[in-house]
Amino acid sequence: MAKILLVEDNEMNRDMLSRRLERRGYSVVIAHDGEQGLLLACSEMPDLILMDISLPVMDGCEVTRRLKADKTTRHIPVIALTAHALVTDRVKALNAGCDDYDTKPVEFGRLSEKIHNWLLEKKAQ
Amino acid sequence: MRLQNLSIRRKLILITMLTSSMALLLSSASFLIYDLVSFRHLLTQDLTTQAEIIGYNSAAAMAFKDEPAATATLSALTVKGDIVAAVLYSPDGKMFAEYFRNAKTLPAFVPSRSQERGYRFEGRYLEVWHDVTLNGELLGTLFLQSDMRQWSTRAKRYASICFVFVLISGFFAFLVSSKLQKVISGPIMHLEDIMRTVSANKNYEVRAVKSYADEIGSLIDGFNTMLSDIQQRDTALRGANDELKTRTQELEGEISHRKQAQEDLLKAKHVAEEASRAKSTFLANMSHELRTPLNAIIGYSEMLEEEAQESATGESVQDLQKIKSAGKHLLALINDVLDLSKIEAGKMSLHLETFEVSGMIEEIVTTLEPAIKKNSNTLRVRLADDVGTMRADITKVRQILFNLLSNACKFTDHGTISVDVDQSTEEGLDWLRFRVTDTGIGISTKQRENLFQEFAQADTSIARKYGGTGLGLAITHRFVQLMKGRIGVESQLGEGSTFTVHVPAQVTLETVGPIQAEGNSEAFDAVSEIKIDRDTILVIDDDFAVRELMSRFLGKLGFNVLTVASGEEGLRLAKQVRPVLITLDVVMPTCDGWSVLSKLKADSELSKIPVIMVTIVDNEARGLALGASNYLIKPVDRERLAVLIEKHRITRVASITGTNAVPMSRRAHDPKHREVEAEVAERFNGENLTSRR
Repeated sequence: MAKILLVEDNEMNRDMLSRRLERRGYSVVIAHDGEQGLLLACSEMPDLILMDISLPVMDGCEVTRRLKADKTTRHIPVIALTAHALVTDRVKALNAGCDDYDTKPVEFGRLSEKIHNWLLEKKAQ
Repeated sequence: MRLQNLSIRRKLILITMLTSSMALLLSSASFLIYDLVSFRHLLTQDLTTQAEIIGYNSAAAMAFKDEPAATATLSALTVKGDIVAAVLYSPDGKMFAEYFRNAKTLPAFVPSRSQERGYRFEGRYLEVWHDVTLNGELLGTLFLQSDMRQWSTRAKRYASICFVFVLISGFFAFLVSSKLQKVISGPIMHLEDIMRTVSANKNYEVRAVKSYADEIGSLIDGFNTMLSDIQQRDTALRGANDELKTRTQELEGEISHRKQAQEDLLKAKHVAEEASRAKSTFLANMSHELRTPLNAIIGYSEMLEEEAQESATGESVQDLQKIKSAGKHLLALINDVLDLSKIEAGKMSLHLETFEVSGMIEEIVTTLEPAIKKNSNTLRVRLADDVGTMRADITKVRQILFNLLSNACKFTDHGTISVDVDQSTEEGLDWLRFRVTDTGIGISTKQRENLFQEFAQADTSIARKYGGTGLGLAITHRFVQLMKGRIGVESQLGEGSTFTVHVPAQVTLETVGPIQAEGNSEAFDAVSEIKIDRDTILVIDDDFAVRELMSRFLGKLGFNVLTVASGEEGLRLAKQVRPVLITLDVVMPTCDGWSVLSKLKADSELSKIPVIMVTIVDNEARGLALGASNYLIKPVDRERLAVLIEKHRITRVASITGTNAVPMSRRAHDPKHREVEAEVAERFNGENLTSRR
């Protein structure tokens, strides 16, 4: 069972996404802000991280940058969740080292497909 | 001072005096000469007469050889003061008797014997020879010599008189000419005075006074006419000058007025731009704020829907679907409004790439399949044979067709929807024509008027019945305009509609023009960062065969290949397209590879694009020194080229996006690549259209 770390500050989004991911059979670890996300990523070693970009304490880009700088967490795929309209956010996220991105509001079918693909790819490595 | 430079007055006096003196001299001289000549003649006659008298008186003495008597007769000449010598010669020529007024002169002047007859002038002397006869017998010859004292005295006196006369008459001539010259010189001097006044004071109002109706009079008339002409012109000129000054002042006023207006306008423009920026930022923020709760609404309704389906509570499934579709409608609306505001703010940019038209159509059809089936419609796609690739913003072309097709699906029930694509040439440009035809409800003439306007659905009831934001066609229209194409519609109410879109087969950024406005706001697109075309390679080579080979070879590797024959064109395209890599020949006409390479590396925007030199010139050191990434010598080792290109592409894409680029072979199932299609689906106004391939 794949473990997904969800870093999201909005309570409703967090609740909904985690429940829907669990329904798809993933085990979900939740972080409320960037700092917690970073800590949990290191301790839990998830198979994939869903990272909101605008986060309190430490934003998603910074967290991703640190994860990608660390040998032990570098391999974990990070999917950035960015506001749809802000192309700059997407560029920022990709520049920070995110492997992929999706827009909010989340199209769950598409997102779960992305997750699926990235997990397959990871397994292949 | 030369004569010519004398004043007119002096000249006139001089001329008059010279002339009169000359005349006087000439006439006096002729009188003198005449008088002297006639006097000499008189003297000659007189002397001849005396010779006759003395001859007669001395004839007896000669006949009797009475020398004393003859001498006495001759001595009578003492009373005649002018006779210098008198000699009587005997017939044999010997001197018989003589008389000399002054004894000293004798040897020089008196001939020793008689020689001639008559008279002659010898120097200052008049000499006369006269035969002495008695009763027809020649007794001897008389010689008289006169010094013409009377004559020379007379000549001297005459000359003196003449001289005095000339002097006196000269003086009078001077007096008279001095008076009379004024008749001529006076007006000229006056004219000169006036002329001096005019040229010194620039006063064109004075006039010369005309004294006589002679040539000078007409000269003065002419001068006056000229003066009045000049005065008129001067007045006119002054008037014009004044007017010019007034106009200049007016103009200056106008200019400063306009400057003020311009400044006001600039200020207003800045204010408007500021407002526009604020609006853009506001919209971006708002859309973010709207999305967060929407995210929750759509997400929870989807989740509940799934749960309800599992627990088989049919009614609530439908209600939940309604909530979800309303949420998605709202999302579509927000996206459309955002798109429109971007277009309006000039922030919508084009990302040009070359793509296969058929592939794009296929993708759209696949995505639209659920919508087609929904109303039990049939879709027919017809692609003309000559339709190959086009260069345009694929996302926008896709959205144009997507909007038209989904509208067709929406307004058609149990009908046929067809897509026709063909190519045509107009005014030297290749155009692609897309026709989307349906057999649906159609559009009335009145409805057609506002068809492409924002928020203008054909009928308000339509929104209720069919849904949609009313922005789809407006956005479609704007996208077509953005690519310098055109859109049209034909329709018969109740029978169906045909939308026709013309788009240039080669959309260029130039043709896009001012729509590519500069934008400082980062709220929307970070154009410079994402502009790089990840799949395009630019080949710069003047050899047609090389371009063909490279195009085919790189095309097989999965790249879009742009080929150009000249360095200038290459530089231009590189700026426009931002290819992932450039291959560059060295030997080219006009702009050679070295200078192209230098220019590429000097441009901060282009310097990061890797350049592989592909040439016959063996100068690797120079190429690398100028900044080329690799140096290949023709004929090119294709495998090496492929390896190099793949290496550069991965490094390049990674450096742009910060991601680990996925190798070519794996791109097919790259989730990022499908995201674009999904995004289009997401923007679509309808429901349940998201691709879930």
